[in-house]
Amino acid sequence: MIRAEQLMKTYGTGDLAVTVLKGLTLEIRDGEFVAIIGPSGAGKSTLLYQLSLLDEPTSGEVYLDTIKTSSLTQKEKTAVRLTKLGYVFQDYALLPELSAIDNVVLPILMQGVPYTEAFARATRALERIQMGDKMLNLPSELSGGQQQRVAIARAVAHHPHILFADEPTANLDSMNGRLVMDAFLDLHAQGQTIVMITHEEEYASKAHRVITLKDGDIVSDIVQKPRL
Amino acid sequence: MKTTLRIQKQLSQDLRVGWFLTIRQIQHSGKGTTGLIIFIMILAFLNLVVVSGLLIGLIAGSFQQFRESYSGEIIITSASGHNYIENSSALLHFLENHPDITAVSPRHTITAQVLGTLNDNPKKNERVNQVGARIVGIDLEREEILTGFSRFLQYGKNLREDEEGYILIGANLIKKYSAFADVNIPGLDLLRDVDIGSRVRVTLLSDGGSIKKDFIIKGIIKSKVDEISTRMFVLDKELKRLIPVNKEQFQEMAVRTDYASAPALVQQIKEFMGSSEALIQTSDEAIPSFLRDVETTFGILGNALSSIALVVASITIFIVIFINAITKRKFIGIMKGIGISPRAIQFSYIFQALFYGITGSLIGLLVTFGLLRPYFAAHPIDFPFSDGILVATPSGAGIRVAVLLIVTLIAGYLPAKLIIRQNTLDSILGR
Repeated sequence: MIRAEQLMKTYGTGDLAVTVLKGLTLEIRDGEFVAIIGPSGAGKSTLLYQLSLLDEPTSGEVYLDTIKTSSLTQKEKTAVRLTKLGYVFQDYALLPELSAIDNVVLPILMQGVPYTEAFARATRALERIQMGDKMLNLPSELSGGQQQRVAIARAVAHHPHILFADEPTANLDSMNGRLVMDAFLDLHAQGQTIVMITHEEEYASKAHRVITLKDGDIVSDIVQKPRL
Repeated sequence: MKTTLRIQKQLSQDLRVGWFLTIRQIQHSGKGTTGLIIFIMILAFLNLVVVSGLLIGLIAGSFQQFRESYSGEIIITSASGHNYIENSSALLHFLENHPDITAVSPRHTITAQVLGTLNDNPKKNERVNQVGARIVGIDLEREEILTGFSRFLQYGKNLREDEEGYILIGANLIKKYSAFADVNIPGLDLLRDVDIGSRVRVTLLSDGGSIKKDFIIKGIIKSKVDEISTRMFVLDKELKRLIPVNKEQFQEMAVRTDYASAPALVQQIKEFMGSSEALIQTSDEAIPSFLRDVETTFGILGNALSSIALVVASITIFIVIFINAITKRKFIGIMKGIGISPRAIQFSYIFQALFYGITGSLIGLLVTFGLLRPYFAAHPIDFPFSDGILVATPSGAGIRVAVLLIVTLIAGYLPAKLIIRQNTLDSILGR
């Protein structure tokens, strides 16, 4: 479970200050698949950065289960991101000098898992998203869709409590976009909590809950029957 | 206890992930870039070792030549104020039977004057064609074993045991061959109109009075060691006959032994002889002090140049790692974003820097000891007073490798630290 209370984020100071999140409160429960939608500048990515501990709110609080995250040091936040959170970036964000399997194995190794077991887990994660035959390829040798699937495998290989995805299909064609969405749905079916930002209605409709942001605040929060 | 174990575990994980990242980054980085960085490290290492090594080598070359051409590892000479080495025979017997000594060359040496023009009286205001020098009586066989004496023969022929009345003269005593012939140094007399085959008159100046004998110049000897080029050499048995008194006492004994064991052997000889009987020195102790001063100065100069090289090397490594880190700022942010500890990322950059440093140093060591040192040993630098060699010892090179690696470590650590401490999100978004 993750909960945001009176979350406010302001960039800049004085006359140049821009408040992107305006005292937003929400709670995401375990096992939910939440789509966050809204126009550009609504504060979707900013909200995701606060929830995923990549950024610090100007005021308000983010609770991860029972942890008050504002009390964590940067080092502790890094450790929380490693063990409890997974992140899929819009531009895949794979490390270019690491092969597909090395990208996936990296956070697992960081958790102290022995090499053999870490590689076995990474292999399984890649095979689960039909990337078993591309394990040794560098990101530059993969298509955008393949890279994003590797990024998903990396994000979930260490079994995070919550998977955050920032417009994961934005740079993909419709076919690869659908493959990525299928991967998310599979993961959700296995009980993975997912928080995804998207611009695309089709993908938002596959989530169980859709939160709409506008001007830094929630304008609607709808639990829906996903259209599969 | 628990905290310590947790810290140790975290450190070991960071090291492991840092190492993993290093290996992968090196494996997949451009071969050209890696090669260039290693090449720079090799140059930095060579700059540290070779530049100072050559500077010191110019002097060390002269020390080596002094040892090989004249003194051996130990040189025994008459004590101060004495004309000869006391109990020369007993000492020679001791040296010849010592297991650590491979060769001994006892020498009679006497101050002499050589007259180049025998018949003509000098004209008015003309200096007499004569020079003062030490004449040395040598045992050809012993001297050949100890110094390879025949290699100094520049012109003419060497002495022979079955011939008498011949002399070899150092090139620096004859105007035609001297390196100082073209300068007019007041008081410096050189033999004029004298060459191989010329007859010269040698006057021995000893306590027993002066003895004159004519010799024919059989050869000219030349070396960068003054003790060779400014002396005259005749057969020892011939010189011995001319000496009026103390014929059995020598003035010099050069001893060949292992360089490292020379100081201990000197002590043994002193115990055998008593220090007042002779001046017993290792070749290093017998080196003139001004050369020692030059060596020290060159050493300081070499270290100064090495220090500059070290600064240049550290800045180079810093720039290389900094550029490497800054171009990967986004990926460093991503790594932090997915939970890789900053320390593990830092380790990866430090390991990379060490990889470049160690590889460069190892290749540098191979080049130094496998190529440059043998090359300069075989082809010394032709310096006016020495044949310059490359002085590079394993211990000295080891110290420089250690210094270079410490500098590398710091130069790798700092830029990584600078980049890693930036805000994670800013790094990811390129802000």
